[in-house]
This record gives sequence, structure tokens and C-alpha cells, in this order.
Amino acid sequence: MDIKELKKLIKLMKENELTEISVKAGDSYVSLKKGVAGNIVSMPHVVGAPQSSSQIFSSDEKDKMKRPANVIEITAPMVGTFYRAPSPDSDPYVEVGQTIQNGTVLCILEAMKLMNEVKSEISGRIVSILVENAEPVEFGQPLFWVEK
Amino acid sequence: MFNKILVANRGEIALRIIRACRELDIKTVVVYSTADEHSLPVRFADEAICIGKPSPTDSYLNIPAIMSAAEIMDVDAIHPGYGFLAENPHFAEICGSCNIKFIGPSPESIRLLGDKSAAKDTMRSAGVPVIPGSEGVVENEKEALKIAKKIGYPVIIKASYGGGGRGMRVAHNDISLVSSFMTAKTEAEAAFKHGDVYMEKFIENPRHIEVQLLGDDHGNYLYLGERDCSIQRRHQKLLEEAPSPIVTPEMRKYLGEAAVKGARAAKYVNAGTIEFLLDKNNDFYFMEMNTRIQVEHPVTEMVTDIDLIKEQIRIAAGEKLRYKQEDIVINGASIECRINAEDPDNNFMPCAGEIVACNFPGGFGVRIDTHVYQGYKIPPFYDSMIAKLIVHGKTRDEAISILKRTLEEFVIEGVKTTIPLFKRIVRDKTFIESKFDTSYMEKFLK
Repeated sequence: MDIKELKKLIKLMKENELTEISVKAGDSYVSLKKGVAGNIVSMPHVVGAPQSSSQIFSSDEKDKMKRPANVIEITAPMVGTFYRAPSPDSDPYVEVGQTIQNGTVLCILEAMKLMNEVKSEISGRIVSILVENAEPVEFGQPLFWVEK
Repeated sequence: MFNKILVANRGEIALRIIRACRELDIKTVVVYSTADEHSLPVRFADEAICIGKPSPTDSYLNIPAIMSAAEIMDVDAIHPGYGFLAENPHFAEICGSCNIKFIGPSPESIRLLGDKSAAKDTMRSAGVPVIPGSEGVVENEKEALKIAKKIGYPVIIKASYGGGGRGMRVAHNDISLVSSFMTAKTEAEAAFKHGDVYMEKFIENPRHIEVQLLGDDHGNYLYLGERDCSIQRRHQKLLEEAPSPIVTPEMRKYLGEAAVKGARAAKYVNAGTIEFLLDKNNDFYFMEMNTRIQVEHPVTEMVTDIDLIKEQIRIAAGEKLRYKQEDIVINGASIECRINAEDPDNNFMPCAGEIVACNFPGGFGVRIDTHVYQGYKIPPFYDSMIAKLIVHGKTRDEAISILKRTLEEFVIEGVKTTIPLFKRIVRDKTFIESKFDTSYMEKFLK
């Protein structure tokens, strides 16, 4: 299953307001669930005079959540597609509540078919994962909140 | 036709491309560095994606980041604008292998024409007049001296992979030739990673006349007249006009047909410009071909009534050129001033900073291509051009009078600009009488 197909599934979920969808095609199997903590990021299209056009990469909900003082934000070091696990069948690298160290692999950012491991540079406990699996992210986009 | 185009550039050209796409009903994605978060292209594009830190290497030259963005955003084509990756054959190749159309010529054409001495060979074989000089790379001083004897002094030594006025040395006799030759090779190696140099007869104070071309994927070519870009400072163009005040209809036809011959020989597709030098005897010589849309393209648009960016997109989408050569008519005269955020009284020192007040001129015959607005903070990481002031009149004199009027109306406060310099140029007798050549600015600024 490639990113185009995954995006079609996400679109299908949004359009039909589904909370869960599973698809098996040959050897591929994908299960997408709308999480409790976050939403599938909608893509508002704002048309008009020089205000910001599409704010695809920052959802209003995330901006409204105030980051507590002792929480560090880990942001995307590059543009790519965010994956929670090394492969569709594996367990995610990290979960909310997990303790991490300097060097812990947090996720994969895929760019041009190359899988880049994103490693933590700090230690602490993950309090929030801010993006969904297979979501495109831009440079600097917040990915994790880590409590020291 | 394309569904979505990624604009791999910034500033006024990014906005220019977005506008053409809008009119063609094509969705736009712009990539940007963190420094350009509040820029107009980011606000006007349908979608925008941040790809890196301000430095061009991290952002606008960052091929993996740009291709990743293209993939994520599901684009069909990329417009590279000018500068940055516009003439990078490697980038054009990668687009091709990712099945994304690069809006421009093929990687092979870019590569061929980027090698200045190979480009010259191609033109020479096609029957385009070239500056007398070495046939290809000059290997050593002995060869250099032989060639200089044949073509006569003064001569200029140029880096094969240079361009834009960089990596060149002039020699007036045998002694200076030997030292200039060695220095030129060393400089070329350092600046362009290739120490190859070639030699040419040095043309003193030429005029710089360039021809705008369009070529489609079906073997059709058009020339859209010439631009006179002789007003330059340190090989950077300041003011350009179309048509050239000293080119007659016969010269226009001769130049245009020569340019088409050259483009055809290079198998060139899409928009391109062939630069010629005109010497004191009114002889033309091929200098180089620019394999991109150029900064000064608007003056050609004003006199031909043809939207060059839309034509680029159409050509890239596989369409045939929709004009025949006889359809191309030059109407009136157009002049463009590149307004830079630089201090003309302080050696043109670039001025980053906030534009606290801003009034753009308007009215009949006026076009402003700009990405700045009141409150905009000019980032220090990129070139200093903030606006292009373009005027169009029925005659060159009318264009000059519109230019005078608009320069008075053009207010930018908070940063120094080159507007005062243009106000002086526009009143100068030599400029008004079109008696200038590429040495004009240097003399004017003394």
C-alpha cells in the first residue's frame, strides 16, 4: 500500500465520517483508526485577500492546546511522511507515556522512498503524539510533546 | 493540462507563477523556508509547505526536501522559476525519474548549454555567429598564446562552467595573458569545480541584446523579439527594455532566426533566451543561452501581449505553440527597472529590514511585479530585489515619461532602495538618446 492509496483511505474516512476502516488487498493490510486524543487533520481552504491560504500543517486544535511549561516540543527535522513504526506490521517505536532517552528512535520520516529515523535528543516521557500515522509533515512541524 | 504545480522558488517570481496557474485553473503548492513564512507567495498559493531553514542549501536548493514535498502534495509538475534550481540538470533529471514534469528544457539541453564552450561549439555548427576564439577548452599557456596571436588582442579568458559574468579575465598582451591564464584556471577550479577555460576576442563595451525564444515538444520555434540589457552594474542587470532602441526590423529578423537555429540545434524546448553581444561595427555574436525564464521577461510580455509563464506551462503540458512567427508583433516600448533594497550611495550595500511604508505606482501602462507589502520584513538570506517596475508606452519616449512619473510615485520607507538611482538615469541624456553600452553604468556612477 503506498501513500497515494493511504491518502485515498483517509479521504474516504473523512467524507463518510468513519472512525475506523480496515482494508485487506492481497498481502497488504491497513487499519486506520480515528484516535481519541487527535483528529484527522482537516485541510481548511481559506480564500480571500492576503490572509493565510491553506494552513494544512497546523490544525487549530493543536494551537489551542497550551503547551505546559515543563514540556519540550520535538519538531520535524525535515519534510516527509510520518510513520509511527518501521513497517505496517510492526509495533510503533514509541507510545504515549513511554520514557525515552537521547538516541531513542521516535518515528520514521519518509522522503523520496528513503526512510529516515528521527531520534530524540532529549530524555523524558512522551505526553502527546501530535500527528497521525502516514500524515505528511512539513519542516518544523510539532511531532511529540515530551515531559522532562 | 496539469492538475497541480509545485513552485520551487520564492519572492516575486513565485507569485508570478502562482498567478499564471490561477488563470489556467491549476492548483498551486509553494515550498518555503522558515524565513518566508509570511511572504505573499505562501499566502496566495493554494497550499504551502515549509521545507527547511532559511539558508538556500536547507531550503530552495534542497532537492530531497523539494521532491519530498512534491510527492506528499501529489503534484504533476514543478516550476523552478529563475535562479536556485532552474538551471540544475540534476534536479531536472530527478523530476523526470519521479514522473513529475520539470517546466523547462530537458536535462540534456541544460547540461549542454551550461557548458559555455560546448554551447558555443553547438551554436557555431548551427551557423550562429560566435565570437572568434578557441575551439573548445584551452589546455595550456602555449596554446593560449597561439590563439591570441590568431584572433588579436585584447582577449578574454572565461571559465567553461562559469556564466553570469563570473570567472573572466581580460589580457591585452602576451605577458598579461600568461599570468591571467593561470589565475583564471585556478579561480575557475575554486568557484565552479571545473578548471576548464576557453578564450575569445574581447569585445570592448558591447551592447547586450538578448532574444526571447519559445520552443515546443513538436519542433516548433518562435522568437519574440529582443531585449536590450546593456545597463548593468558588475554584470548585474539594472534596467532592461524591449525592443532594443538600436535594433531595426531587419536586424530583429536576422537575430531571431539565428536564435531559432541555435535553439533547434540544441534541441531546446520551452522558454529560453539567447544573449548576443553587439560590437561597435553592429556585428552580433552569440554569448550564452539562458535555459530558464528570466527576471526581465515582463518587458517582452508587454510588447508582444503574450504571457510567457502560461506558455511555459502549456509547452510543458505537451501543447503545440499557439502562435506562428507572423503572429508575433512588437507593439510600442517597454522598460523595466529592478528595484533592489540596496543603498546606491553606499556601494549598493543590501538593506534587509521592515518596509514600514509602501506606495506602489499605478495608472495606464504600469505593471508592478513584487512580493513585498507594507509591514513586510525583508529577510537577509536572499537576493535584494524587492520589485520590478515595468512600464509600457506607444513609443520609447512615452515609456520614459511614464517611468519618470511612476518613479516619483513609488514610495518605500524603512529600507534604502535603488529608486533614487533610476530617477537619475531616466533624466540622463545618454540614456534618453539610447547611446549607452555595457560600460554606461560604471561611467554614470563615477
